Amino acid sequence: MPALDPIRGLRVVADPAALDAARWTAVGGDPGPVATDIDRITVLRFASDDAFALGATAVDVDDEHAIVEDEPGFVGGWCSLDDLRRHLEWSLPGARPVLCQGLIAGVPAKLWLPDDDDALLLTAVAFADVLSERLGWRR
Amino acid sequence: MTDKALPPGSGTAEDPAALAGGRIVVDGRPLPFRPGDPIAVAILRAGEQPARGGTLCLAGDCPNCLATVDGVSFVRTCQVPCRPGLRVERHPADGLPPLPSVQDSTLAEPPRHREIHVERREVEVAVIGGGRSGSAAAAQARARGRAVLVMDAADGSEVVAIYPGPTIVARTSAGMLHVHPEEIVVATGVAEIQPVCPGSHLAGLVTTRAAERLHAAGVDLGHAIAVGPPPDGVPCDPVSGRLVGFEGDEAGHVRAVVMADPATGDRRTIPCDTAVLGLGYAPRDVLARMAASGADGTGGAAEAVRVVGPAADDHPLPPAPADPSAVVCPCHQVTVVDLEGAWDRGFRELELLKRATLAGIGTCQGGACLPHVRAWISERTGTVPEPFTARPASRQITIAEAAANVHIDAFRRTPLHDEHLAAGAAMDRFGGWWRPWHYGNHLAEYWAVREGVSIGDVSTLGKVVVSGPDVVEFLERLYPCRIADIQPGRSRYALLLNERGHVMDDGMILREADTRFVLSFTSGGAANAEMWIRDWIDAWGLAVHVLDRTMSLAAINVTGPLAGRLLVRAGLADPPRFLRHAHAEVAGIPCHVMRLSFTGEAAWELHHPADRSVELWRALLELGRDLGVRPHGLQALFALRLEKGHVIVGMDTELDTTPRRLGMDWAVRMDKPAFIGRAALERTARLPDHRRLVGFTMDGPDAPVEGSPIWSAGDIIGHVTGSWHSPVLGRTVLLGWQKRTPFPESVEIDGRLAVVAATPFYDPEGRRARA
Repeated sequence: MPALDPIRGLRVVADPAALDAARWTAVGGDPGPVATDIDRITVLRFASDDAFALGATAVDVDDEHAIVEDEPGFVGGWCSLDDLRRHLEWSLPGARPVLCQGLIAGVPAKLWLPDDDDALLLTAVAFADVLSERLGWRR
Repeated sequence: MTDKALPPGSGTAEDPAALAGGRIVVDGRPLPFRPGDPIAVAILRAGEQPARGGTLCLAGDCPNCLATVDGVSFVRTCQVPCRPGLRVERHPADGLPPLPSVQDSTLAEPPRHREIHVERREVEVAVIGGGRSGSAAAAQARARGRAVLVMDAADGSEVVAIYPGPTIVARTSAGMLHVHPEEIVVATGVAEIQPVCPGSHLAGLVTTRAAERLHAAGVDLGHAIAVGPPPDGVPCDPVSGRLVGFEGDEAGHVRAVVMADPATGDRRTIPCDTAVLGLGYAPRDVLARMAASGADGTGGAAEAVRVVGPAADDHPLPPAPADPSAVVCPCHQVTVVDLEGAWDRGFRELELLKRATLAGIGTCQGGACLPHVRAWISERTGTVPEPFTARPASRQITIAEAAANVHIDAFRRTPLHDEHLAAGAAMDRFGGWWRPWHYGNHLAEYWAVREGVSIGDVSTLGKVVVSGPDVVEFLERLYPCRIADIQPGRSRYALLLNERGHVMDDGMILREADTRFVLSFTSGGAANAEMWIRDWIDAWGLAVHVLDRTMSLAAINVTGPLAGRLLVRAGLADPPRFLRHAHAEVAGIPCHVMRLSFTGEAAWELHHPADRSVELWRALLELGRDLGVRPHGLQALFALRLEKGHVIVGMDTELDTTPRRLGMDWAVRMDKPAFIGRAALERTARLPDHRRLVGFTMDGPDAPVEGSPIWSAGDIIGHVTGSWHSPVLGRTVLLGWQKRTPFPESVEIDGRLAVVAATPFYDPEGRRARA
């Protein structure tokens, strides 16, 4: 049974061009159960000026006003898309990899789809329990 | 004319073929069916009627075969195949079927419900209707390489709605099917026109296609006569002329058709057992209209919808109904007289007539009456009105079907949710969050704040970081207070106004650096405030970054005269002074420590990473054990703030509340050149106002309930927004609205005298909060 676990990473809001060129590093520490391999940081672009870098612990971004914060506000879990389809009332984009967002089982959530089979489901930690309950996932 | 019992229907239980399918149970009696029989056909074969009469179409278009099937009322029995043991109860001849299951249920034991499975499918082309034109459209789409789904009620997929998106909702034997297509082809064909004339309620009337279907099913129609084009292969006698009406027997079955010579008007009566009616066609376009108009009036899915085949063709309207007593709408028994009455009262458009008479809003959604009402209007105006709007659902669906896979709003939980439950908290929903209302003794929680130390979970507060070279300029425009003079490490209370000068929200502005601030908002207003911020940054084109930390950071309010001592124990050697803030570790956890006060006592909010919140909460409880620390819930917090006269936006305010009405002009600097709402405040400042939120006090131990009306000179002049019998003050304190001038200095609330009093009621100099 899939589960929603804490996700570790860095949240950065900065100029889009600076974010495009940002250099991410992961230095030591446990990347958490759903983060990617510690040497392979996955950067989720929530918006053009907003990135969540899974597994990253530091960033070099050329924007003196950038907001850089440890991000403890999300939980996530890997699953197959088939686990989720009946809980979606919106169409998945066709491109891969892609980040998309919408209600899943009535809960605001994001989906990271690296390929056609796997999905990383993310939601705010405040919704973790209710989403787990509705999906029948372990928490 | 034959003398047998009420045709149509010659099949009997003795017919061996009839037993091949099994038996259904109709009104408690077993009734045989043949394989493939819909319920209506099986009942007709037994010589009975599925409902109270009227012209049967057996195509799902009319309301004349509705019954309760397996506990679900208003089911079209012509669309449901028989299966052994299926229970059918005919609706009462007068009135509606009883609500199922409700009578024996209570709030504690609600009626049993079915779990409806929902299947979602994404397709390129969805074709609604599997007939000739639908099949052709599907074949064409497939030839273009498109993925096609064909849905037809006859094949088990009954489409009941099209929503913007588009999303098609269909009912299947397995549950509900939600289809998300790129393109919709509506190929639903045509419905047969129903008669509108005296006697149209009788049994024994069938449309041409229904007659063909019954004949094919082996149902004997008796002596049938055909009005209009005769059905294929069905033995019947055609009659000519204009249909005048039907005559029936005492049992309510047709016995004759009355026709008139178009030239002379001479009438003749033709005896029959069954009248087969070929009165023309109307497009079966309810789904096409639904898609075009949208379920919510926002434009629907028109661009993605194509109507093909007979459903797209123009069909002549029937003659306008003339006989005053004729029933136009069989669902609601609307007669021609009813239409005339509404017309005379000024309802002279189709949509208005529908609302005034209810014609068209019944179970068939205008399938029977719409052509006749359009013809009736056309005769009066000379213009054929467009059909009325169609909205989901086009077919009766149960609440369980409509609610399948639909969730109630998801309420957020703070990281301390389980801690609250373990402490015995009564949880309730406020501002989109689950929050502790109390922990069993709200008075003890109150006194812990006033005389000792208490902690409260304020993780729900909005927390937004803004940063950028234009951030000061942005905040100066956004807020009505001064920004530039807030020094790093200082903070200021602020109202958030809209362009009309109305209070949207409030919170704190905390400066962290020259170009970086943290803004806090109310729990319920945070999401709206964040959108507001982003919209204005975009509108003004300012260089400001925004990060909403509301759900990433938890927050604990440590408050009470002993709060500072507790924080020192937790490692905060020098807690910030009033309206200052700093980043520091508390109990080993990195916190943004903010000194402010909502309770009226010394208070520090500790904003910290959500994943460290339980650790911090437990540490504070442990470190303050000998100080008597205990958590407080919202009930105590609301009382504490009321004694201080602090306003809660959304609870005390209304949508058009201005700072002046709250007595909070002090929070607005009109000497600033520009901020949102300034122009409106400047304009309205010169006008008299007739509303104000004020404090009241009253004697007696019982506080009036919030929402109580406020009386003056026999009139209600406002209502109470907050009410609490203050233990520390020994009297009841209230906030409430006065909405009539001159503002009285005393009023009556809950039958008692209440006197206007200045706020804060408690510690008006604020010494305790600053201590």
